[in-house]
Amino acid sequence: MESRGYIEAFTPADGKAIAELRGVSKRFGDVLAASDLNLTITEGEFLSFLGPSGCGKTTALRMLAGFETPTEGDVLLDGEVVNALEAHHRPVNMVFQQYALFPHMTVAQNIGYGLRQRRPRLPKAQIAEKVDKTLDIVQLGGFEDRKIWEMSGGQQQRVALARAIINEPKLLLLDEPMAALDRKLRKEMQIELQDLQRQLGITFVLVTHDQEEALSMSDRICIMREGRIVQVGSPQELYDRPNSKYVADFVGTSNFFDGTVVEQPGPLTSVRLSNGMIMRGTPTEEMSNSEDVSVSVRPEQMTLQRQGEGLTVEVRNRIFLGEHTEYLVNHETLGDFLVLSPRQSEQTEGAFTVGDTAFVSWEDSAALILDRN
Amino acid sequence: MRAYAVCVYLFLYIPIGVIALFSFNAGRHASQLQGFSTKWYGKALSNPFVMDALETSLIVAFTSALCASVFGTMAAVALQGIKGPVRTAFDLLIYVAVMIPGIVIGIATLIGLVTVFDQLNPMIAAIWPNGLTPPKLQMGMGSLIAAHTMFLMALVVIIVRARLAGMDRALTEASSDLYATPMATFRQVTLPMIFPAILAGFLLSFTFSFDDFIIAFFVAGSETTLPIYVFSSIRRGVTPEINAIGTMVLIVSLLMLITAQLLLQRGGKKPK
Repeated sequence: MESRGYIEAFTPADGKAIAELRGVSKRFGDVLAASDLNLTITEGEFLSFLGPSGCGKTTALRMLAGFETPTEGDVLLDGEVVNALEAHHRPVNMVFQQYALFPHMTVAQNIGYGLRQRRPRLPKAQIAEKVDKTLDIVQLGGFEDRKIWEMSGGQQQRVALARAIINEPKLLLLDEPMAALDRKLRKEMQIELQDLQRQLGITFVLVTHDQEEALSMSDRICIMREGRIVQVGSPQELYDRPNSKYVADFVGTSNFFDGTVVEQPGPLTSVRLSNGMIMRGTPTEEMSNSEDVSVSVRPEQMTLQRQGEGLTVEVRNRIFLGEHTEYLVNHETLGDFLVLSPRQSEQTEGAFTVGDTAFVSWEDSAALILDRN
Repeated sequence: MRAYAVCVYLFLYIPIGVIALFSFNAGRHASQLQGFSTKWYGKALSNPFVMDALETSLIVAFTSALCASVFGTMAAVALQGIKGPVRTAFDLLIYVAVMIPGIVIGIATLIGLVTVFDQLNPMIAAIWPNGLTPPKLQMGMGSLIAAHTMFLMALVVIIVRARLAGMDRALTEASSDLYATPMATFRQVTLPMIFPAILAGFLLSFTFSFDDFIIAFFVAGSETTLPIYVFSSIRRGVTPEINAIGTMVLIVSLLMLITAQLLLQRGGKKPK
């Protein structure tokens, strides 16, 4: 896996810290929603909090926005502790999940809202001019006098975006902004959002439970679980070097074989699986013998052949995906797992059909030995 | 079952229908119809006692509805920020305030005000400069407005709170996220959104105050509101003039109730 080359779009060392969480915890009654969060957000990056619902990602976002104050630890904005600073004093803006547009105002009034709160007051003409410019940026020129309920979901999202970016915030927070959009529109908005982020240079912090969304848009992803940060890294890092079974399972698809460590002779570690079989793979951290671990092999790293080495399996299901074909195969003692076969190999091997017997193999170094928790 | 329902409605509405019908009676007596005429309406409207009572009723209804709307809205907004047992206690007290029979409010307000006035009047007289007649607190327009405001406030709180509860919390958060202070958020976001409910509360309050007899009878002192006037003139027999007044009050009340209902429906609908 060292052979893989990384193309890092962005590394945190590139810029200065615009926001920081230092040992932040948040308790709601008996519930610990966020626990000891430590994270530095760098100016200009696109960072995503990724995790299932209830993992604390929204709480983290709301603490950055100023809607919640941390029970412990410090939230820093631009180097200053802002724990008790109320939301309306923070140079941070948010795009809400259901957009939270003001229904009694027009599109232009919604977008100009933040500017109208400035004291001393800004001249009306200046606000109007900026609103016009922002409408153009989000491609809503000519919609200024529309009522909010006359706009489609995608347009409403642009209004919400415009209402936030017009204030040139230090941080733009996005709380599951695509959740209400249909799949096609979501794809388009993801691209637009990325373009916008590059164009404006504003730091974006996105909260999502959609791994695809996080992977395709973010410079860095912060994976959360049960109120804790599990791993922070670029999408490639998380995909290729997950630090736990949880991350490997959440980022992309993988096959897992549970077992215990038996030997660590060299760069590879041997694991005895529940069926007695020994599998070798690259350890992701220091491991001790007899530790419970999981061997993770990505479906695309597996090769499916009619003859040869490897595990003997029976093909259970075949899904044609165009560029690839996904096979669900069954091993007598290891159970079901997925193999992704590229088109070229189909041409040489011929397509497998349900019921065929085949052999699955992979490079030992491609298998990762992961902490099972 | 359907016949039974029809009977219930007939029982409820026939007396009202009869009053409206007899208000157009050309004859003097309320017991026999003698052709159509609107003269009793003219007579009622030109009667100085009726007009005086009407004026009192309108002033009382308008002022107490206004006070109830303002204080009720303030209470509803404040209650929104409270949770736990305190909230439950307030909720209960507000519902009780709406349920309490008018006669209890009437007696309680009367006794309460009279007691307070008896305590205050000597004090005011004592501190008043010599030679001048000190003002004397007594039952009248003021006590009437106070009593009405009290029971109408609970009504406004309930109506406005229902609207507030239906409002997306993210809207006020969005406003504060966009640098609006809590006061600015209330003025620019909360108030415009709950305004239909406040207006509906005002109209309902106005109607209830305008129609109220029981509480007014206890605390009005020497003032005569329209319901009190109607009550006292009935003792001299039911005339078509009374029927005409009753019909006019009915129509105005109905119009206000319908407007209030429309406001609540329209305000409650969320444009998507």
